[in-house]
Amino acid sequence: MALKYIEEYRDATLARDLIKKIHGVSKRKLRLMEVCGTHTMSIFKHGIRSVIPEGITLLSGPGCPVCVTAQKDIDAFVEFARVKNVIVTTFGDLMKVPGSSSTLAKEKASGADVRIVYSVFDAINIAKDNIDKEVVFCAVGFETTIPTIAASILMGIEAKIDNFSIYSANKLTPPALAALMVTKGVEIDGFILPGHVSVITGTNAYRDTFEKYDVPSVISGFEPIDILKAILLLIEQNEIGKPALENAYPRAVSDQGNVKAQQIMNQVFEVCNAFWRGIGEIPLSGMGLKKEYQVFDAAIKFGMDMPEVPEPKGCACGEILMGLKTPEQCALYKKKCTPMTPVGPCMVSTEGSCAAFYRYS
Amino acid sequence: MTEEKILLDHGSGGKVSHSMFSDIILPLFENPELSKQDDGATLDIDGAKLAFSTDSYVVDPIFFPGGNIGDLAVNGTINDISMCGAIPKFISVGLIIEEGLSIKDLKSILETMATAAKKAGVKIVTGDTKVVPRGKADKIFINTSGIGVIPDNVEVSGHNAKPGDKIIVSGTIADHGITVLSSREGLKFDSDIKTDSAPLNHMVQSIVQSDCDVHVLRDPTRGGLGTTLNEIAVQSQVGIKIDEQSLPIRGAVQGTCELLGFDPLYIANEGKLIAFVKPEDAQKALEIIQQDEFGKDAVIIGEVIDETPGKVFLQTAIGGSRIVDMLTGEQLPRIC
Repeated sequence: MALKYIEEYRDATLARDLIKKIHGVSKRKLRLMEVCGTHTMSIFKHGIRSVIPEGITLLSGPGCPVCVTAQKDIDAFVEFARVKNVIVTTFGDLMKVPGSSSTLAKEKASGADVRIVYSVFDAINIAKDNIDKEVVFCAVGFETTIPTIAASILMGIEAKIDNFSIYSANKLTPPALAALMVTKGVEIDGFILPGHVSVITGTNAYRDTFEKYDVPSVISGFEPIDILKAILLLIEQNEIGKPALENAYPRAVSDQGNVKAQQIMNQVFEVCNAFWRGIGEIPLSGMGLKKEYQVFDAAIKFGMDMPEVPEPKGCACGEILMGLKTPEQCALYKKKCTPMTPVGPCMVSTEGSCAAFYRYS
Repeated sequence: MTEEKILLDHGSGGKVSHSMFSDIILPLFENPELSKQDDGATLDIDGAKLAFSTDSYVVDPIFFPGGNIGDLAVNGTINDISMCGAIPKFISVGLIIEEGLSIKDLKSILETMATAAKKAGVKIVTGDTKVVPRGKADKIFINTSGIGVIPDNVEVSGHNAKPGDKIIVSGTIADHGITVLSSREGLKFDSDIKTDSAPLNHMVQSIVQSDCDVHVLRDPTRGGLGTTLNEIAVQSQVGIKIDEQSLPIRGAVQGTCELLGFDPLYIANEGKLIAFVKPEDAQKALEIIQQDEFGKDAVIIGEVIDETPGKVFLQTAIGGSRIVDMLTGEQLPRIC
């Protein structure tokens, strides 16, 4: 399982060359936003901030799925864990995200059956093995994971599994970018667009937003060479004053995207309004189950409708996700809020910008 | 407000484990030997210098490529004693067995323990067995304790790192953690990775008994290389700088980490040591380690610096720099 293709994209000579070019073309101060949490992690992991010009500020955007999950949705996950005979299945990152009163990890320590899965299909298997229990999957994610969740629902129908359901807090990327562009105070000179999401959506998914707001946008992979290349393209676009939507990840992303995955996603889910943590409701930015698949909707099955609750006082996750603040500008950062005692989800998720700042800087 | 409870994080070997130790455990038991917080305690009994250590093993699954919970438990304690610079001599074994474990599995575990002890040249001299009802433990948990003798003129401790020291790691990192993870239910995949569980006592004696000036020895088990380097940086109040490109990581291990989002710096090792050696002796110490059967892939990965006490920095492959913090949550529960 040698991942040879990775090494080329971490090549020190190539990197030096790109860094030199970046310093050569960079004249003005720019604020670039990496939308995706995986980019945030990669930027920190490879020390990219330390090699680019000081005038280039990298902001972490609303692309860490756990970070943008609304408080009321976290509360719902905790509440499911408290229901008798329910097995809650979740990706690991959600375990420690604080709801209003508890976390999934604390509920597990108190005896709830909460299991970390690496794929929604593991949750289906758990349902098959526990027919006397109800299995709820916490569906948190973007276009990258929504198709597999849709596939699991279709699988559940085929295998006649009736003890499996999902709570959908799924979200779509382009509407969030559009929402950012009209938010007061937000200043972004370019987007590093997510690689994984774009594999599914294709470049075309960003075209409307791009044409409307004319902001430099480059789709990027996750290796340091990919990210440095995207930064270089964004600086060049800014310096010559010609914004463009460019695909700098053509080895994985096409114009159309993965059409089959889109079809499965659109067969099971439909676009709906969604709550984003710190940002609020963004129209048509979520994906809810279509009527014919609502027997798999955990919220309906269990009559779960948690009230909206204010986010913890002082937590600046929302402003951080919109690029209005950096983690260091949050009053709680490294004081009340640390990875051991997180207040907001940005400090919990491995892809959260606060956690990344805490860990790597 | 709900009552505070123990979470899996408390067992990670990272920051939360450390705060449990310093906030709850240390204040109650405080004494100079415990407060040193090395892998084992070094004791002076009427002039005889001894090392004493204990460790419990709860790994899941109990059998994995390259080993099982038995040799892991024996090698683990041998290594903890060895990291005090001591020659391990005697080991105790405590077995907590769940009702229903097959006798065949038990025998197989005990056989590997016997083999591991023999290979390392230590004796299992005392022990205990308990059986608990089904569901009250998971198959088998093993505790081992051991004592060893510290030769004259040997003094290694996490407190002894000095600016300029070169840092040697005795081989590829993250093999054990990734092996256990990839043999778990629900995450099985084919690879040729196996645990690196091995006794390091002979390797340790060949370096501490040489004329190389070795300041620190540590085996980066739970919490991985990153956490262990942080512990030493704090204990010795020095800065540490390591070079990403020099880190020895197997391709398959790196690939698995990429796939699952793990950082090999925080993944457990069970047959590796790190040695902090005076710079002029570093090359010689490296060669001695490389001559040991478990040290063939040893390399120098970095050095101790005279600034930023308590912090570990990584020079990345692209020429950037970043901090390596202590593990803050549980990456993988029940890895050892």
